[in-house]
Amino acid sequence: MIRFENVTMVYDQKSRLGSENARPGLDDVTIEIDRGDFAFLVGASGSGKSTFLRLILREIVATGGSVHVAGQNVARIPSWRVPKLRRGIGVVFQDFRLLPQKNVFENVAFAMQVVGESRSAIRDHVPEVLKLVGLEGKEKRQPDELSGGEQQRVAIARAIANKPQILLADEPTGNLDPATSVGIMNVLDRINQNGTTVIMATHDDGIVNSMRRRVVELSLGKIMRDESAGEYTSMIPVINQDGTRELRQADHSTWQKPSTGNQAFAPFDTEDDMP
Amino acid sequence: MKLGFILGEVGSGLRRNLSMVVSVVLVTFISLTFVGTAALMQMQITQMKGYWYDKVQVAIYLCGEHNEGTNCAEGAVTEGQRGEIESMLGSAAVKPYVENFEYESKEQALTHFREQFENSSMSETVTADQLPESFRVSLVDPEKYQIIKELFSSMDGVDVVVDQRELLEKIFSIINIASFVAIGIAGVMILCAVLLVGTTIRLSAYLRRRETGIMRLVGASKSSLQLPFVLEGVISALIGALLASGVLWAAVRFLIDDKLALDYKDTAFISTGEVFMVAPWLILLGVVLAGVSSLVTLRRYLKV
Repeated sequence: MIRFENVTMVYDQKSRLGSENARPGLDDVTIEIDRGDFAFLVGASGSGKSTFLRLILREIVATGGSVHVAGQNVARIPSWRVPKLRRGIGVVFQDFRLLPQKNVFENVAFAMQVVGESRSAIRDHVPEVLKLVGLEGKEKRQPDELSGGEQQRVAIARAIANKPQILLADEPTGNLDPATSVGIMNVLDRINQNGTTVIMATHDDGIVNSMRRRVVELSLGKIMRDESAGEYTSMIPVINQDGTRELRQADHSTWQKPSTGNQAFAPFDTEDDMP
Repeated sequence: MKLGFILGEVGSGLRRNLSMVVSVVLVTFISLTFVGTAALMQMQITQMKGYWYDKVQVAIYLCGEHNEGTNCAEGAVTEGQRGEIESMLGSAAVKPYVENFEYESKEQALTHFREQFENSSMSETVTADQLPESFRVSLVDPEKYQIIKELFSSMDGVDVVVDQRELLEKIFSIINIASFVAIGIAGVMILCAVLLVGTTIRLSAYLRRRETGIMRLVGASKSSLQLPFVLEGVISALIGALLASGVLWAAVRFLIDDKLALDYKDTAFISTGEVFMVAPWLILLGVVLAGVSSLVTLRRYLKV
């Protein structure tokens, strides 16, 4: 469904030499995500998660390698065909991005109107989608009358209104409390079970650990690990001999004797998001 | 459905950005009014040329008793001199240039003068003796006036040779200057209108960035993203152009048709028919300028 072949994404190529920002957003990434997969994309801020998602959407074009979505090399799609690619991809964000002056029904219908669906198709399909995300009976509510979790459900409904084969979620639970997040994850899981490929970038370790789905960890633009039923982090806390605590990469040789691990990663980078 | 949706977007854009839209309408209205005025003035010149150039003549004024022209030293023109001039006009050298000519006596001159200045008190006090007698010469080619002037100016009994076209040229040059001024103002105003359309579209794109962002993500085509904004600019300009056309029509209808044309019956004036010829071009100009200006702005400020 989605295949990255040696994908490198360098922002601002002109200042590549000598600049500290020269490190690539993605660095020689090769990965394949199959139809119907549910993959978590984890990693510190600036590790390349957003770059990964934006490459799939062709918001940006890779500077090296190729990105294939549904069998097409996205870099080769002429610009006037890009909308067609995007119709096959739903996107959900941390900040919901609902239209404040439209009610729930209109927000979802908007996505269908934009691609030119008929009024009757919209009338039939929107309630179905709202039911799928668990918002029956709230069609007439305005976004500011909804809780965060409900708003995110509307956003998900909008993302899947045009029946995309791929759903990208960029920290969809980032603004939500754990209990609400579980509800959102159930919705995403249900969508995944209907056959939609879901890729979710997240910092929410609790969710990743409990879902036991594929986990792709990015760090500094490289894939650090790719496990089929992974956890949020493979790092474990260790206490150094001088008494300080830090997290260390848990590969199996160091698991028993953490003190011999020689590579340390800060689990939470400073919040310098990629542009 | 799709069209309805786009029109709905246009409507909401116009409502949200109302003050800017009103300013675009007004600036387009003013600028196109100036363009239209200049065009109508040029049409007025053409009209007058067509009307007058057939009628105007070269006038060869003959000496009166008190003239001080170089050829009038001997006082009023004599019968012999008049006959010489007349035969000169009929001679082989002059004939090819002359369409026809006629003699206008003092009495006839007075009649014409009275007709022309009907409403003026002057017509009562002027007497036939104060007016010169003349030959009225129509030329085959009015541009050849210089030849006639050279031939007759030096003849005895001729006071002065006047090309009446020159008088008209003065009027035309005044109208011309006025229309150039109008074009100049129109140019500046059009520049304003174009920039203002750009700014308005930019602001509108900013106000609707949520919608367009979502439209982009769910796969709106480039045209359905841009069209609402372009239509917004074009509709504003269209309203401005229609207002301009309306004002020009009213001006011609009430100022020229109802006033000038009645006061100066022997002058050809443009009428509302000319406005209907100018208006479509004004509308086209407004629409094209607004459309191009919005598209150029969107290229920079709306990601597609």
